[in-house]
Amino acid sequence: MSIKVWAFSESASVANEVAAAASGIAQTSGGSFTVVGLDEGGSKLAGEDKLVLKAQAPLSASPEAAAAALALVAKESNPDVILVGSTRNGKEIASRLAVKLGRPCASDVFAVTLDGGFLRGKRNIFAGKLQADMALPLPCVAALKVGAYPVLPASPAKEVERAVGEVATKTRVIEKREKQRGTVDLKGAKLIVSAGRGVKKKEDLTLISDLAAALGGAVGCSRPLSSDMGWLPEEHHIGLTGVSVHPDLYLAVGISGQLQHVAGIKDSKVIAAINSDKSAPMFEASDYGVVGDLYAVIPAMLKELGGRHR
Amino acid sequence: MRIAVCVKHAVDETELKTDSAGNPQLKGAATKISTFDKNAVEEALRLKASHSGEVVIVTVGTPEAKKSMKEALAMGADRGVLVNADPMSMETRRTSELLAAAIRKGAPYDLVLCAEGSSDNYSCLVPPMLGEQLGLPYVGYARKIEVSGQSARVERALEDSVEVIEAPLPAVVSVVSEINEPRYPTLIQIMQAGKKPMEEVSPEAILPGLTAAPSFVRGMKAQAMARKRVVFEGPPDETAKKLLDALASEGVLPR
Repeated sequence: MSIKVWAFSESASVANEVAAAASGIAQTSGGSFTVVGLDEGGSKLAGEDKLVLKAQAPLSASPEAAAAALALVAKESNPDVILVGSTRNGKEIASRLAVKLGRPCASDVFAVTLDGGFLRGKRNIFAGKLQADMALPLPCVAALKVGAYPVLPASPAKEVERAVGEVATKTRVIEKREKQRGTVDLKGAKLIVSAGRGVKKKEDLTLISDLAAALGGAVGCSRPLSSDMGWLPEEHHIGLTGVSVHPDLYLAVGISGQLQHVAGIKDSKVIAAINSDKSAPMFEASDYGVVGDLYAVIPAMLKELGGRHR
Repeated sequence: MRIAVCVKHAVDETELKTDSAGNPQLKGAATKISTFDKNAVEEALRLKASHSGEVVIVTVGTPEAKKSMKEALAMGADRGVLVNADPMSMETRRTSELLAAAIRKGAPYDLVLCAEGSSDNYSCLVPPMLGEQLGLPYVGYARKIEVSGQSARVERALEDSVEVIEAPLPAVVSVVSEINEPRYPTLIQIMQAGKKPMEEVSPEAILPGLTAAPSFVRGMKAQAMARKRVVFEGPPDETAKKLLDALASEGVLPR
């Protein structure tokens, strides 16, 4: 069976990651894949077959509009598999497509393959404690876990443009503010030092940032520090409902290691922890741990690092 | 203002055990109201406090889900509707269809609130599917909701940006846990929750002619946590050195 796959995301870089998965399943089935983008993003897309949807107003401004446009075109060309990047907007678009097209749908799927009339894949459930094997009957929609596939480079192939005219939306964007960039890029960080409740005062976060600076890493935190205490902006929050990270080294300082935090760091190469409580679950999820007071261990680490760099 | 809040009765992920072969012991596992649903209930109660009205809890679950419903009622919701079906055995689209049917039956509502996702599956698909099923405006990942007259102004948190959206009511909105701090019910509230009205309906009664829509999950296994779990104890200068040596030998420290 020769299948047709769509790789879509409202973000070009995520679309090119989805394209890697689409290319894989198209190849094994002898099928083809199309990378689908919105508005003016065509030149940034990977793949030999590119389709860009355009409307009178920018489609990327509204997941509702993007889903309506995608559904319209999908009804004409009927791709067997529609892969969408599992960003927050991507999950909304996938859900809307599933209902509009009457198709099965799953989110945050990775390791996708084709198996007979099914799209197979895995997804993490119960805050990462379990992994579920999914089998979606074709035709289907699947939102792919972000960061699970390599990003394919943009290709010089010329995109096919498809104008969809006017797309009505029920809601209106009044304001859009980009979060401060440059201060934190946890998703791409190679080394992250992360702070938890073991840090007693906001001012003491300098210990964490000093250690991160000495190691050349970024600063993250567990949910209480950004959400309850408000010591760090929300984009530093690592975990199930925050950012998922995959650094070479994740160093958790004063973090107890709740499942929902660990769910966001599972893909780290090496995990280390510093905690004064020997029974903290964080040690179970770590390769290396130091049982000790972070207020004594971090200065000792800084001193040791200072000596090594001299 | 009438607000429907969708909640899920979920297996408690922190208590879930797996056997030596990695199979989860779901039968008899500890259960709870899905963690983030409490934020949706809390937000509904806050809106009710400033706009008056009624808060109705809607659940698709087995009769055991009344436990979670009672928890939401104890927090201050007025009544509950249980659609008697097991969400673990059906695909998410069916869950959203059943919620939509129960909400239509209880209409009119000004607002339908959900958590962004459930603490067990965290697929985050049901809220936007519900918006689509009901044909209502949908805004996801709200961290602030202001209602005035017949519209809501919603601040939503995306990965790299924050958007302010205006949605006419009725609308479906999903909330992130940062939106509020859920209240703890008092002992009296917990005791009184059992006396609040809880209606139970069958899927067939609200959606006649249903065909099967089985779950797409073929199996579940424990995730191997292949971590080395080497722990250093002792004086800080010694443990600090041991940790840095170990990390250097892994090649994960900058040279």
